[in-house]
Amino acid sequence: MTALHADQLIDGYLARLRVAAIDLPSSVREELIEDMRAHIGEARGHEPAETDASVLNILDRLGEPTTIVGDARERLGIRPAEPYRPGLLEIAAVILVPFLWPIGVILLWISPAWNWRDKLIGTLVPPGGYIGLSFILAAATTQVSSCGTIRDQAGHLIQSSCTGSPELPGVLLVPLTILVFGSPLISAAYLAIRLRWRPRPPVAATA
Amino acid sequence: MALIRDTPRYAYELIEALGKTGLLTTEGTLYPLLSRLRRDGLVKTEWRESTDGPPRRYYELTAEGRRALTAFKNEWTSFRGAVDGILQEGTKS
Repeated sequence: MTALHADQLIDGYLARLRVAAIDLPSSVREELIEDMRAHIGEARGHEPAETDASVLNILDRLGEPTTIVGDARERLGIRPAEPYRPGLLEIAAVILVPFLWPIGVILLWISPAWNWRDKLIGTLVPPGGYIGLSFILAAATTQVSSCGTIRDQAGHLIQSSCTGSPELPGVLLVPLTILVFGSPLISAAYLAIRLRWRPRPPVAATA
Repeated sequence: MALIRDTPRYAYELIEALGKTGLLTTEGTLYPLLSRLRRDGLVKTEWRESTDGPPRRYYELTAEGRRALTAFKNEWTSFRGAVDGILQEGTKS
């Protein structure tokens, strides 16, 4: 008979093992997890009547995932991953992303200090930094100023029209302008904050 | 290693045997040890079908493993002799 919460307990244990072993080479990690899974299967087969308590005892005897992973590191000569320390590369990236976008973005993507989401935000908010904004602004100005007139054969004005976006009310114009022109700096500030408070990779304690 | 000198065994069997001696408190730590021995070429493994479950990985000593075991036995015998000698001296005095 299978214990009521056996699968949950075992899945939880294997999940904790996977987290503890996150910095082991994948072949070592997968082998370790498969060995543990096989061991638990064998041990369950030896239980005359399985209960939640007997499953917990199997997991207790197996040991804490951090202890097992620590032992694996020691036996296989694997050192725990050192957290990456940001340096000049990251400082240069934060400064150059708003002002010299192509170079800043290259540095941003080279650095391992940011994750994919941070890199995408740094690259696309706004696209091109101040250089990109100036292009967008120039394009918008051209579009607004493109006016056309239709005249008859005698030269009398029949129709005059200008294409482009309707003008924004003054109340919205000021904050929107600040937001647009401030966005490269906001993006750079975000990258700097993420550098300071970025999540550390989980490092299992050695036994 | 001595447990698989003559007969290939699977890990759970080894754990049961070691558990009886009281030498193994954290069963899970045997697996990294077996993995290390395999990577060092001291043991070899073979998957075999099981009558009561999924296939099992059997561990067996290699020729190099046998040499390492013999070397360890000699060292251990000499170490144990030295410690016994000291303990007996302590009892006499």
